[in-house]
Amino acid sequence: MRRLRLAIAGLTACSGCQLSLLNCEDELPELFEKFEFHFFPMACSPALLTGQYDAALVEGCLSMPHENELLQELRRRSVYLIALGTCAICGGVAALRNGEERELLRQQVYGQHLVAGETFDPMPLQNVVQVDAAVSGCPPEKQELLRMLAGLVRGVLPVNIDYPVCTECRMKENLCLLMERNALCLGPVILGGCGARCPSLAVPCEGCRGALAEANLAEALEIYAQKGFDRQIVLERLRRFSPEWQQ
Amino acid sequence: MAPQFMVSHNLEALLERLRQYAEVHGPVRGDDGVVRFSALTPGILPDLSAIRTLLPPKKYLLHPQEIILSYTEKDGYQAPSEGARPLILFGLHSCDLAGINYLDQIFLGDDPDPLYAARRSAQTLIGVSCIPDEFCSCHLARSPLKPLSDLFFHHVEGGFAVTSSSPRGEELLEDVKDILEEREVNIPEDARRFFGQVASMRVRPELDAALPEWQELADCCLGCGACSLCCPTCYCFDVLEFSGLDGRSAERVRRWDNCLFKSHAQVAGGMSFRKDRAERFRYRYCHKYRGFGPLQGIPSCVGCGRCRVVCPAGLDLRPLAERLEAACRE
Ligand code: SF4
Ligand code: SF4
Ligand code: SF4
Ligand code: SF4
Repeated sequence: MRRLRLAIAGLTACSGCQLSLLNCEDELPELFEKFEFHFFPMACSPALLTGQYDAALVEGCLSMPHENELLQELRRRSVYLIALGTCAICGGVAALRNGEERELLRQQVYGQHLVAGETFDPMPLQNVVQVDAAVSGCPPEKQELLRMLAGLVRGVLPVNIDYPVCTECRMKENLCLLMERNALCLGPVILGGCGARCPSLAVPCEGCRGALAEANLAEALEIYAQKGFDRQIVLERLRRFSPEWQQ
Repeated sequence: MAPQFMVSHNLEALLERLRQYAEVHGPVRGDDGVVRFSALTPGILPDLSAIRTLLPPKKYLLHPQEIILSYTEKDGYQAPSEGARPLILFGLHSCDLAGINYLDQIFLGDDPDPLYAARRSAQTLIGVSCIPDEFCSCHLARSPLKPLSDLFFHHVEGGFAVTSSSPRGEELLEDVKDILEEREVNIPEDARRFFGQVASMRVRPELDAALPEWQELADCCLGCGACSLCCPTCYCFDVLEFSGLDGRSAERVRRWDNCLFKSHAQVAGGMSFRKDRAERFRYRYCHKYRGFGPLQGIPSCVGCGRCRVVCPAGLDLRPLAERLEAACRE
């Protein structure tokens, strides 16, 4: 069987998603059998885009013109374009200060020095290209990454998850931190799939997998308010990974 | 035969004896305060005062998530080879026993589910009497489902009155005879009397889709799924197949599902039978209070109260059920 040609790129992000892939150490030999990691600047050089790709896996959000060019190029050359991680899907941490004056933000970080090029409000990939599938998480779960890749080998895309973190949390028979400990757990409105990683360790969900498509935000805010959480604090917490939650 | 009596302090001895036959599981309160069915190993006693566990005993019959088939090129699809280990469940309340009775009808019917059947036949069920609390609803609706068990322990002054109701129960009773005594005891009424009632189900009119309550419930629901996951008679599952990295093997996984999820009624092409949550609520109600499919007319709710205890939005279908079902009874 022909090895599938992959392009793996990182835009504005921490490279953690790509690293999660490299951390699949036990599976790497098998992955090399099935895939040609043709374009993967973080892991192999030289990295030049040539020809067509079976899939492009893109980490990070879009915040600079040259990233947009790279993304368009990847899209043109790939059968599937897959968003890797929460930043690529909804902007993530980089989009935290969206809406604020960019020049001011730049000065806060870099002072008067002239650095980098032009930037714009960080945005998810889907704002500019068609995204065929997504693997959420900050970073994504190893199992989800491997399942997605195994699916590609068979020519299928991953199934969308449509349940919140709470679902797997209850399946694990965890103590509910929201109900029993009055903790600000974001589980009810956050996309599941992590096996309720944090609440399983008695740590409230911080929402790193981003917003659940059918999240009932109004009711969740009502419940948090009843528990005495300030609405602004809740919204700020929610926006940490899901900037689309503006209210 | 006069009822058998066991003094309270013999509980540990009894469990020790049961452990000779099989692993014994019962309601155990964890350090975090959550009561779960888990192993009653030496030194761990069941919390018999707890009204309900977080997950019902269905978790032993249908695992939250499990491989039901494995595929290899050589052998094709193969069912898991692991045989079911004998398991004694101790401390089941009437609702959970009735819940198992319901699941039995679904999974041991015309086309038995092999995994379920193997596990179920390896189980011994030991019930314990209980008194409904403010979340329970067994006393509000009389269920035709039977709270079947092998042995049943009734709380009485100073201990338990023990009765058996199956050959397996008889056997066990015989084997632990020395820690029981024959005694005339008055067995007080317990929640079992709300079950096994003949259903006087007239054909009920369709549930009115225009009822504002469906939308009201939907507006408050977070779609977290807790109500179904924790329900002893919710058995919906999703089946997913994950291929192996080698491209030549696969695992087929069965995972608890929930009728309040978007994908539950979604079919090929993205079409959906129940697009919004209000419709899904009506569907859930229908199953819980009226039953459907081959078990139409048998409400699946056994009144354990878990859905109310675990709902972060505090939703409670009882008032609606009282109204809609009482109207049908007249
Ligand atoms: S602890 Fe958090 S994730 Fe778990 S059930 Fe409660 S709210 Fe949901
Ligand atoms: S529980 Fe929440 S914060 Fe933790 S890994 Fe899952 S989505 Fe991220
Ligand atoms: S619907 Fe609620 S009360 Fe009825 S059996 Fe299910 S969890 Fe228990
Ligand atoms: S437990 Fe409550 S909020 Fe969660 S799905 Fe059920 S009704 Fe909705």
